[in-house]
Amino acid sequence: MRILLAEDDPLIGEGLRAGLRQLGFHVDWVRDGEAAERELRAHPYAAAVLDLGLPLKDGMDVLIEVRRAGSAVPVLVLTARDAVPDRIRGLNIGADDYVIKPVDLHELAARLRALIRRAHGQPQERLRIRDVVLDPAARTVQLEGESVALSAREFDLLHVLMLHADQVLSREQLEQHLYSWGREVESNAIEVHIHNLRRKLGAALIHTVRGVGYILPRDSKK
Amino acid sequence: MNNGPPTSLQGRLVTLVLAVVVTVWLATAAMTWFDARHELDELLDSHLAQAAALLVVQQTHEMHEIDRDGEGIDAPSLHRYAPKVAFQVFHEGRLALRSANAPAVALVERDKGFKTGFATVQIAGLTWRVFATHGGERDVQVYVGEQASSRASILWAVLHSTLWPMALALPLLALAVWWAVYQGVKPMRRLGRALAERPAQALHPVRVEGITSEMVPMVNALNGLFERIGTLLESERRFTADAAHELRTPIAAIRVQAQVALGETDDALRRDALRRTLDGCDRATRLVEQLLTLSRLEANATPTLAEVDLRTLVQQVVAELAPRAIGKNQSLEFEATEPCSLPGNEALLVALARNLVDNALRYSPPFARVRVSVLQHAGRVELLVEDSGPGLAETDSRRLGERFFRVPGSGESGSGLGWSIVRRIAAVHQLEIEVNRSAALGGLAVHVSGQGGRQTG
Repeated sequence: MRILLAEDDPLIGEGLRAGLRQLGFHVDWVRDGEAAERELRAHPYAAAVLDLGLPLKDGMDVLIEVRRAGSAVPVLVLTARDAVPDRIRGLNIGADDYVIKPVDLHELAARLRALIRRAHGQPQERLRIRDVVLDPAARTVQLEGESVALSAREFDLLHVLMLHADQVLSREQLEQHLYSWGREVESNAIEVHIHNLRRKLGAALIHTVRGVGYILPRDSKK
Repeated sequence: MNNGPPTSLQGRLVTLVLAVVVTVWLATAAMTWFDARHELDELLDSHLAQAAALLVVQQTHEMHEIDRDGEGIDAPSLHRYAPKVAFQVFHEGRLALRSANAPAVALVERDKGFKTGFATVQIAGLTWRVFATHGGERDVQVYVGEQASSRASILWAVLHSTLWPMALALPLLALAVWWAVYQGVKPMRRLGRALAERPAQALHPVRVEGITSEMVPMVNALNGLFERIGTLLESERRFTADAAHELRTPIAAIRVQAQVALGETDDALRRDALRRTLDGCDRATRLVEQLLTLSRLEANATPTLAEVDLRTLVQQVVAELAPRAIGKNQSLEFEATEPCSLPGNEALLVALARNLVDNALRYSPPFARVRVSVLQHAGRVELLVEDSGPGLAETDSRRLGERFFRVPGSGESGSGLGWSIVRRIAAVHQLEIEVNRSAALGGLAVHVSGQGGRQTG
């Protein structure tokens, strides 16, 4: 999952980026409010972690602007300010979660996963489509009850397709979902990963819509 | 201060007013008494003298014809005081004539020699006022006397008519005074009620209808106090929120970095995360130290001041921070020509200098120059810290010294307390701080100046 981290403190930003990467997120890190707003408008992030006391533009203002622009991206406000009025205000202007520093890395990851899941109308932690079950927390995939070994990138691609089940996603969209900045993406990388997923999970799972992209239908009647 | 139950203002006023009124009345009565007695004495004495004169004139013509042996003549009683007036006429040592109510003995003892004029005598338990005079002939003595009790009763009657209405009016007056005072202190009562009805936490100004001019300073002082307390509470609330924020940030960093180290499989990356964990610890330590310095400064407003040599002190600070500058490839210079003494607290001045030099190093890029000078001119001592860093925007330099204010976008992890400490220490030492752009180095210049000590200048 590609998320945006907006945090001005170098030590915390560094740590969160490294820690969330260990837990399977692709993290883009910005250090000020204006960059946060620009990136949130430009890319389809699965979620954002927003510090409130950002230079150039306050986190609250970033959130207001992003929501005004119609973005529904799940936003987790991460702040050291715990005064109740601050929290209420944060939630009122459209934050999806409000976490006080210091936060446990695993808790933060779990909350982010929950936010992403809820944003896709998914009540359970595990995603199930037909015989395929994906566990985002454990990062495991089962086919008919049997574990299937996937690479990190294959897992992420499957995760995105399952979250957006019944939607056609273009190659560019998938790349945006999967790669944080500064990563060189080979032009056929997505095709290679799709090929591998079909090989491991069955050819019927993912359909190609020629000239448009890929789709993972919820039901197999086709 | 009286520790008993508070006395009522109403009661005090009523008591005081009535006491004053009664005192004035009593004084008036006493004056009336003395005045009336004096006037009465003069009036009645003149009547005695006049009566005596009449007797003398009469005796001169009639003495020989009516020389009956001490026989009383009942003078007609023409007035209710008349029975108390008596006369005696002595001729050749014998009582020739007397009024019926006159005593048989001479009104004035004659063996002591005869004296004309007034006298007050005691005869048979009665006090008499007597006027004695010679008759037309040498051997005739005329005494006219009046019982003193009659005078007293006249006096009493006069006083009675004056005092009686006063005594009657007193309870009425007390009531009237009570009512007037009650009306008068009404605004006070209203204020008291308004204060009693306020919630204990309320800090809004007191507003009472129709307060008197005497109460205005009281209400103003009270409202001023409420305002100050409100500001103080607000700043304390902000401080607590800010302190919580600042304390949580390094802890959050430590926690995250430690978890990253725990979850990292790559050895080099794990060492990296552990090193950052230690950075976070250093930052937390520094923050706690700064907070403690600040709170000690605020708790102890007047530290002991002694003569301190600023040059030696700043030199030590520069020496202490030199390794930091070298680590960042910055050049740190110190300039001072002569010892500069000023009254101060050494530990505090060290903290001030360290914060300023530390800031200059921290917020200047690598390869920057930082120059620290101690100067003196015209009896004033100045510490000047200049750098070749980016300097400060006007708006930011005005906010320096606000607790936890950090220049935005500086990318440095200061505590935001350094300037609060610097300003506080400067205030304690009555030093002036000026922040501007360094003419020599182009970055920030901080001038701290104050009156030099004894040895200076």
